[in-house]
Amino acid sequence: MDFAMTDEQRLIIEQVRRFVREEVAPLEDKLDPDESRLGPDDYARLVSKVKDMGLHGLGVPPEYGGPDIDTVTMTLIAIEISQHRAGLYSPCYGSFGGAGLAHLYEASEDLKKRYLYPTLNGEKHGFFGLTEPSGGSDPARAIQTRAVKDGDDWVINGAKIFISGADKAEYGIVFARTDVGKGRNGITCFIVDTDTPGFHVRRVVHTLRSAYYATELQFENMRVPSANVLGEVNKGFAIANDRLSRQRIPYAASCIGIAIKAQEMCIEYAKLRETFGAPLATRQAVQWMVVDNEIDIRTARWATLDAACKADRGEPFRTEAAMAKLLSTEGASRVVDRAIQIHGGYGVTKDLPLERWYREMRIRRIGEGPSEVQRLVMARNLFGASL
Amino acid sequence: MKVLVPVKRVVDYNVKIRVKSDQTGVDLANVKMSMNPFDEIAIEEAVRLKEAGKATEVVAVSIGVAQSTETIRTALAMGADRGILVKSDETVEPLNVAKILKGIVEAEKPDLVILGKQAIDDDSNQTGQMLAALLGWAQGTFASKIEFDGDKILLTREIDGGLQTLKLNMPTIVTADLRLNEPRYASLPNIMKAKKKPIDEKTPADYGVDVKARLEVLKVTEPPQRQAGIKVESVEQLVSKLKEAGVIG
Repeated sequence: MDFAMTDEQRLIIEQVRRFVREEVAPLEDKLDPDESRLGPDDYARLVSKVKDMGLHGLGVPPEYGGPDIDTVTMTLIAIEISQHRAGLYSPCYGSFGGAGLAHLYEASEDLKKRYLYPTLNGEKHGFFGLTEPSGGSDPARAIQTRAVKDGDDWVINGAKIFISGADKAEYGIVFARTDVGKGRNGITCFIVDTDTPGFHVRRVVHTLRSAYYATELQFENMRVPSANVLGEVNKGFAIANDRLSRQRIPYAASCIGIAIKAQEMCIEYAKLRETFGAPLATRQAVQWMVVDNEIDIRTARWATLDAACKADRGEPFRTEAAMAKLLSTEGASRVVDRAIQIHGGYGVTKDLPLERWYREMRIRRIGEGPSEVQRLVMARNLFGASL
Repeated sequence: MKVLVPVKRVVDYNVKIRVKSDQTGVDLANVKMSMNPFDEIAIEEAVRLKEAGKATEVVAVSIGVAQSTETIRTALAMGADRGILVKSDETVEPLNVAKILKGIVEAEKPDLVILGKQAIDDDSNQTGQMLAALLGWAQGTFASKIEFDGDKILLTREIDGGLQTLKLNMPTIVTADLRLNEPRYASLPNIMKAKKKPIDEKTPADYGVDVKARLEVLKVTEPPQRQAGIKVESVEQLVSKLKEAGVIG
């Protein structure tokens, strides 16, 4: 067992760290504190540098043109690229490209041509439509959106909520019930073009995350051709489970990245700031906060890298991925909270990135399966499927 | 044309260094180390010469502890062809570095040696000049631009008040200044290729050099704390304060 990075991983991380430090972070001095996009010139310049590094399309499988790296290396990169103000939801302002929705990789060649490849080229954007007003964590029961076969089409009626980017997307993945009374075995996955009659973005849902907003969708007699069924009818729920578990790992990693950055800020500030005639760093109350930060960061990092290792070895890693997601989101939330405490009044100003991370981290304990669902996943694996 | 580039492992420029409490030096425990930034510029220039078809081989050399291999590996990932590690656990002073490099130059017979103008750890700025003297070669220090004129090098260097251009005979020694180029990011494919590039391991004794220190470090201390200034009300007060401080007569 070896916790050290390989020579190659160390070199890749050095390049990425330099990129974040020298190319990305300085741009933020001139951006709105809640910005998540760069101007076209800066964006193009960063993308071209990332392409030169051979790291564009991070998370895209190599056979689709992504960099040929394992999950551990990708996790290490994800920890680095979030280490700036917008890093949590917009790491390096998207200059590393995106993998698109996991489900698209399981689609037919025809659907891949129409949706996956244009997404990887940046020509199309997709949204992920699972959660409904009746719930998201237990979709087998919560999905009430109905799809009924009519000739060669499906007619979809229902609503979705907390859907990011639907108002700007060209298409989206929509889960709908196609067989009532069959629970998770009655749900089908559709790809829906957003210009389909009956597709409505009903309202913008504002959240703690001010940069990107969520939307609420309404489907009214929306006709979707059978060719746009992704996978098999009534088996929409089994698609991409492995890829979705895998996504929890970089999701966890980005939280660790901002926690590392917050911790650096804590140590630097505690050495500078004096109270009652001595630096904060000499106060045990502050020392222990910094030590607890370190414990949270290292615990989350080890757990996340362990999940990545297991995924690379082809072993089951659902429990590990759930634990990584839980430890990283809860740990990094505590780190950012302590960092604000150490920085006092400045901690809550928009002069520092801490308040943005604080708001965004609160969402991270809910998004991609809340902590309680991660515990449920682990419990099922510990007790066996019988429970 | 073969190009030799020495690269040094130093404390990363982004690290805030700490002086050891016994004043014998700088604390290096658990400190992030990187390639000296001026050496990165030197490697970048050599690799660009190779890409332009002017250089045929770029050899990176590092003198120091075993972990200096990491620094060589970085150079290989940027595009150098092979590496030489001269392993020494002792601190190697600039004159000894120059003597070892002279031995390597005699063995490798490069046409051009590009060095960083100085290392950011001890800021000596001596090795390139000493190497040129030991070899009896021409030298162009603090280069901000390198061009070729037949079999000669036209080298631009920044001096007080302007730019000076030198015409140098080959073989020659060049030291790189900050504005010579902007080092690239090593790409993923090149990082993977670097793994397979060879690194020879040598010792100072292989070049007949005894690295025993000739200088004695008496103490290393933090820079003195800057004293707070005062605001003056008038020119008269300014002049009298300056006189008090002994800066004007």
